[in-house]
Amino acid sequence: MPSVFAYATVFGGLAVQAGLHAVEVLAMSVFVFAGASQFVAVPMIAGGASPLSVIFTTYVVNMRHYLMAATLAPSFSAFSRRRLALIAHVVNDESFAVAVTRSRPPDAAIFLGSAAAIFVAFVGGVTVGTLIGGLVAEPARYGLDFAFPAVFLGLVATQLRHRRDWLVAVGSAIVALAIAVRLPGNWHIVIAGMAVSAAGALTGDPEDAE
Amino acid sequence: MRASVALTIAGMALVTYLTRVPLLLALARRPLPARLRLWLRLIPLAVLPALAVPMVLAPGGQLVGGVGEPRLWGAVAVFVLAGRRVNLLVSVAAGVAVVATLRAIG
Repeated sequence: MPSVFAYATVFGGLAVQAGLHAVEVLAMSVFVFAGASQFVAVPMIAGGASPLSVIFTTYVVNMRHYLMAATLAPSFSAFSRRRLALIAHVVNDESFAVAVTRSRPPDAAIFLGSAAAIFVAFVGGVTVGTLIGGLVAEPARYGLDFAFPAVFLGLVATQLRHRRDWLVAVGSAIVALAIAVRLPGNWHIVIAGMAVSAAGALTGDPEDAE
Repeated sequence: MRASVALTIAGMALVTYLTRVPLLLALARRPLPARLRLWLRLIPLAVLPALAVPMVLAPGGQLVGGVGEPRLWGAVAVFVLAGRRVNLLVSVAAGVAVVATLRAIG
């Protein structure tokens, strides 16, 4: 949880640096509440990307939630649909990891306790970050413009397990680069991301899903 | 709040909710097919490099570079450190420091 607070603080600070208003950053954090996709969206919004391309990219980045929701669902069979509709909003990577590590099948109470704490830590961290972020002048001098791609590369590096993971990551980077130098806008992200991951899944060993 | 940004955030919130709610409400007893799970796991591994590498090597659609590009070395630093299970924020901070240092020298 402290790491989520720190990550959220960095996000809030960088988002304000990139030119988003504090209220926009906070609204995004409360209503989207998905850190990786927010990191992805901020430089796109700041760079003047079309709303449609930002929204579509967000969807693709967050498709992993389907996997988490499907795994969590049986543990929540005692809850009303109205409750579930609320609980769905707080499905997040960290709480999912905590719940499936502690018990199989995951425990609903552990998940909910973690999700509540993560929500508070995330929104609290973003709030602090937006207050600090406005203080730094000349962000490029401190390399802060590099922080966004740095976060993405760090996230990828921590998830590479099988040989196929490497092929997909490197292949997607090459395809995206080839598209980006020819096609204006940000569609290279979604095109390369969807096509190369699908190619990897179709040709790969389904055992690598774990 | 700017109207276009509000619209973007509303759309992001909606599509993100649509990744969370359907399968939670379906209360599926059967796990998703293995190949579908593999795809869902691979998507972030493809999307994140597709996003990061052009940002580093071709900002604005123009290839930059060669070995003198500070961001290239920052990227190498982050990737190696995070790959060795160094804390994500520490890895990012190291990459940012590499970029800042190379810019100060160059």
